[in-house]
Amino acid sequence: MATGSQEPGNPARPVPAAGAGRDLAVQIGLVARGDSAAFDAVFEQIGPSVFGVVKRVIRDPAQSEEVTQEVMLEVWRTAAKFDAGRGSATAWVMTLAHRRAVDRVRSVQAESERERRIASAEIPFDEVLEAVESSLERERVRRCLNSLTEVQRESVTLAYYRGYTYGQVASLLGVPTGTVKTRMRDALIRLRDCLGVAQ
Amino acid sequence: MKIKLTRASQRDEHTLAGAYAMDAISAADRERFERHLAGCEECAQEIASLRETTAVLGAAAAEPLPAGLKERVMAVAAMTRQQPPVDETELVPLAHGTWARAGSWLRSLAWPGRLTLAAGAAAAAAVLVVAVGFGVANSSMQQQIDQAQASSQQIAVVLTAQDAHMTAGTVAGGGTATIVMSHARHALVFTAQGLRALPASRGYELWLIGPEGTRSAGMLPAGGHGMTGPVIASGLRQGDHLALTDEPAGGSAHPTTSMMLDVAL
Repeated sequence: MATGSQEPGNPARPVPAAGAGRDLAVQIGLVARGDSAAFDAVFEQIGPSVFGVVKRVIRDPAQSEEVTQEVMLEVWRTAAKFDAGRGSATAWVMTLAHRRAVDRVRSVQAESERERRIASAEIPFDEVLEAVESSLERERVRRCLNSLTEVQRESVTLAYYRGYTYGQVASLLGVPTGTVKTRMRDALIRLRDCLGVAQ
Repeated sequence: MKIKLTRASQRDEHTLAGAYAMDAISAADRERFERHLAGCEECAQEIASLRETTAVLGAAAAEPLPAGLKERVMAVAAMTRQQPPVDETELVPLAHGTWARAGSWLRSLAWPGRLTLAAGAAAAAAVLVVAVGFGVANSSMQQQIDQAQASSQQIAVVLTAQDAHMTAGTVAGGGTATIVMSHARHALVFTAQGLRALPASRGYELWLIGPEGTRSAGMLPAGGHGMTGPVIASGLRQGDHLALTDEPAGGSAHPTTSMMLDVAL
């Protein structure tokens, strides 16, 4: 992991100018060496995004806090496994976060299947975007989501922000599963291009 | 004809990329798709770019962190050992004693007196790698994997509980014990170091002692270098004490020797 010329034998050294501008990947490299100041900086930078997405999927605030703690602890434990050659640090952490949140809702899903079916009658998209405030980043996401077709947009919001499987999305939207699979991929590719995501 | 079929099924497999990138698939589908990914560099690149995209969707949902959350995690992190980077030379499958090897790795991670949240999961992962690499999935191996994973999950639950707190005690006869407990979770995590070695016929047994009587909380796994843990003890109640005694290796129903440790929980 290329993290500059700093010798690894000195984890106690405070990180100079560890502001939010400092590259997250570099910080994670320092976390892998046990640097708690770097972990603090990582937390400040990505913690709100982790909590936000986890809460979007799980909804229950107490459980969302718990899962956020698990995710951040996993970042601490497995920082050495982060490979900057395979994607950004943000994507690495957010992937951990989303997967954990989804695993949590699926593990309690069987018992609350009925309630869930009833709850799913609401339309999530507007609500998701309503909560979205006016930062430029959010505005960009909103604009790009709006550029999708309705089935694409619903597929993405139900899957990503609600944690549903493509099979569940298919039954909610009354569309064949094959169609939902295709729409999900098309939608993400369009979002990627619209958001100007690198790679 | 065969080739065409393969291509068609690969293409079909590949349409799962979007659902996979959003974790919108079942565990079985996920596993199948990951096998597909392993042999398809192009697909791996596409997934990477889609993950960058979903990360932006996630960041758009950012919310201020609840008060104290960061501090709690940092406190737990300070006593949680980190996973070492991958050392590929250690992942060579062995025909015999694979579990013992993973087990001794687990114990070595417990150096010295640190709580090793990583250990259970890492050992489970190591066993899994070995099992898959060797093409075995016999039920006892599977059981060991399941147990290791379940136990590391329980340990994580205690260590990240909001009311988790740590205490330590000195073991009469040598050694120190570190305990993290959560009354909300009715469980504690126990580690010890510097314990006197016992003959093979004897073992250390943990006890929970409270107003409602004495319950065994299990035997400590026999560890090299007097190190043990982390082990999880559940069924913790308010007012309990934690005790440690020297018992026959199979365990006793009640303590038969004097307490070597007595910590109020």
